[in-house]
Order: sequence, then structure tokens, then C-alpha cells
Amino acid sequence: MNNKIIRAKDLGLASCHICDLVVKLDDNKTANCPRCNSKIHYRKHDSINRAWAFLISAFIMYIPANTEAIMVTGALGQENADTIISGIFYFLAHGDWPLALVIFSASVLLPLLKMISIGYLLIMVHRGSELRKKEKTRLYVIAEVIGKWSMVDVFVVALLTSLIQLGELSYITPGPAGLAFAAMVILTMFSAMAYDPRLLWDKSEED
Amino acid sequence: MEEKKKLLTVCHACDALQDVSHIPKGNIASCVCCGVRLFKNSKSIIESPLAFLVACAIFFIIANIYPVIQLNIAGIERETTLIETTYIIFIEGSPILATIVGLSSVVFPAFCVFSLLYVFLSIYFNKNWSLTRPLLVWVSQLLPWVMMDVYLLAILVAIVKLVSLANVILGIGFSALVGFVIFYAAAISSIEMHMLWTRLDKNCNGEQCEQ
Repeated sequence: MNNKIIRAKDLGLASCHICDLVVKLDDNKTANCPRCNSKIHYRKHDSINRAWAFLISAFIMYIPANTEAIMVTGALGQENADTIISGIFYFLAHGDWPLALVIFSASVLLPLLKMISIGYLLIMVHRGSELRKKEKTRLYVIAEVIGKWSMVDVFVVALLTSLIQLGELSYITPGPAGLAFAAMVILTMFSAMAYDPRLLWDKSEED
Repeated sequence: MEEKKKLLTVCHACDALQDVSHIPKGNIASCVCCGVRLFKNSKSIIESPLAFLVACAIFFIIANIYPVIQLNIAGIERETTLIETTYIIFIEGSPILATIVGLSSVVFPAFCVFSLLYVFLSIYFNKNWSLTRPLLVWVSQLLPWVMMDVYLLAILVAIVKLVSLANVILGIGFSALVGFVIFYAAAISSIEMHMLWTRLDKNCNGEQCEQ
């Protein structure tokens, strides 16, 4: 027990993803948890395909999220559309580089890094790579946690929209990128949830 | 009590089966294979999360009643609360965006905090209320979608953007939101789902986990 690592699946055991109970699964590969009544499987259902599908959709959403306007500012009959990138340059031009850094990290860098990480982890499962599994598992844990911080720009637009409503004098409305951006964040979160890190540790996985 | 029995657990990240009966109180169990944190054998499974959750609930109510930001633009006063933000985006023509913002900043946080409060009160008073288990299952699945901490960062960014346009006053709601985010983080990091379920179901644990 001390030096050899036993995989639960090899003994026909699986743990409930909600309440951690270790349960013996029968040949039908699924059971209802006796403690919390959730469905238990050896591995997440159709993990790789679902993770890829969400990841690719998220990547498609990433493009309009960055090219379209996230916010439309109107003042005295004039309308001005801002993309995320132009917002970052606005802050830089006004000497607000810490804020430019926050927006750049949360809105541009983080989603990209997260999507690349999940893509990399998926490819590693396909290849059955045996190297640095510990580091890959850690990468997954980090990727899962950081995802939601990309929502910050969506919330900023929401707040500004609700505050700046002064009729013709001055108003702000969300641009099309707002929705694309929110969709991108949600899809990457779904992708991370669909991914099963245990597949990295399985030698030859059929299901 | 459970000293001699083996207490088996399975790592969610690598499926390694391991005995965790020897983890001393107050220590964190990490997976022997991949090093991912399994759980903390916390000294106070119920009391400290409950205390933090009560604080959370109070701050949450205040943060939703009072305005978060107040503005003064050329003599015109504007203010917004958490719910109003969602409502205005809704009527400004982005119902889907409003739904996303509303769910992650009002509905999910409210559901999670009050459900957890129910669960912990039920265990604390040994009441075994009927909704305890289903609520705990729901909360475990909704927790990743609670984004109040991100919302707080968004408020700070919005304030910096607005300072050049208007006179910005931080409302009572803002202070309450800061309190909420701090106590929510404390509550979530002190809740050990693994320990909680074991506590809820002591009999089941001994029998089911024995191989």
C-alpha cells in the first residue's frame, strides 16, 4: 500500500464526485450514490469529446469577444464603440497602467492561457503521454480556478450601463462583444468541468 | 473511534486509492500519487463555517438593499444596487447578458449562502432537516458559478473609469459587499465537503468504505 499506487478503477471502485463516498460499481459501470444519490461513473461521461466541443466553441467566441465592441458610449448624439483592446490602450494613454494590466490579464491573457492549457491537456490524453503527470494535474487544477476571473469586463460593462443612463445627454449600452465574452467564459468553464484529469493517469483507456 | 479502521478515499484527479485514517486533526491530506489536496481534517467542521456563513448572510442582505455606487454627474444623481444593475441591462435590450449577470451576482450567491446556512444549522442542532442532503448536492455544483469576488473587482475598475466623469460615492452596499466577499472566502475555505458528508452519514462511511 505504501509504495505501490492502486487505481480505484482496477478494483471496481469509484468515488462519488459530490460526496467522496467510495462505492463498488457493478458491471453496468454506473451506480447511484447511496449517500447523496448522485450518479457515479468510473470516469466523467464522454469527457474528451465534450471538453473539445466546449473548448472549440469557446475559442470561436473569443474572436468576436475581442474584435467587436464591448461597450457603446453615447453622448449628445454621438456614439463611440469601445473594444476591450481599445479600452486597455485608453487606460495606458492616461497613465493607469495597473488597471490596464488588470484588464489585459483578466480579459485577454487569462482566457487564452486557459484555452491553451485545456487544449494541451486534451492532446496529452490523446497521445497517452507518461511524462510529468503531476505537473499536468496541477495545471488542470489552476486552469479550473482562474476561469471565472475573465468575467470582470462583463461586470464592468453591466455596472457602467446601469449607472450611466442620462437619456440623450449620456448613456452606455453593452456591445455585441459583451455576450460573446460571457459565452466564452462560460464555455471554457464547461470545458474544464468536462475534462477528466484521471484520463492522464490511465494507461489505456477505452471508455 | 475510527482509529483502527481503514478509511479509504479516492483522489478525484488521479483515481489513486488511499488510506486516510492516519491524518491528524488540523492537518491537510494530499494525494500520495499526484499531490492534489484531498481534504483537511478540520478541527471545527461545523462551528467556524457556520459563524462565517451567518456573517455572509447578513452582509449579503445589506449589500442588496443599499446602493453600491452613487454618482453625481453635473448635478444629476444616479445610484445602483446589485439587483438594479441586472434589471437595467434587461430593459436596455440584453436579456441574456442580464440573466448571466443576475445569476452569477445575485441568484447563485443567495442560493449557496442560504442553503449552506440551512445545512449547517441542521447539523449544528442535530435536526436532520429533510432538505439537507439535496441542498448540499446542489450547492456543490453551483459553487463555481458564484462570482461575487469577480464582481467586486469589476466595481473597482468601474469606479476608476467613472472618477474622471463624475463624483463617485461608495454606498453602504459597497462596504457590505467587501464584507461579504471576505467572509464568503473564509466560509468556503473552511467548509470541508468530505468531512461534512462523513459527519452526515457516520454509519454509511464505516461499512461502505471497507473493501
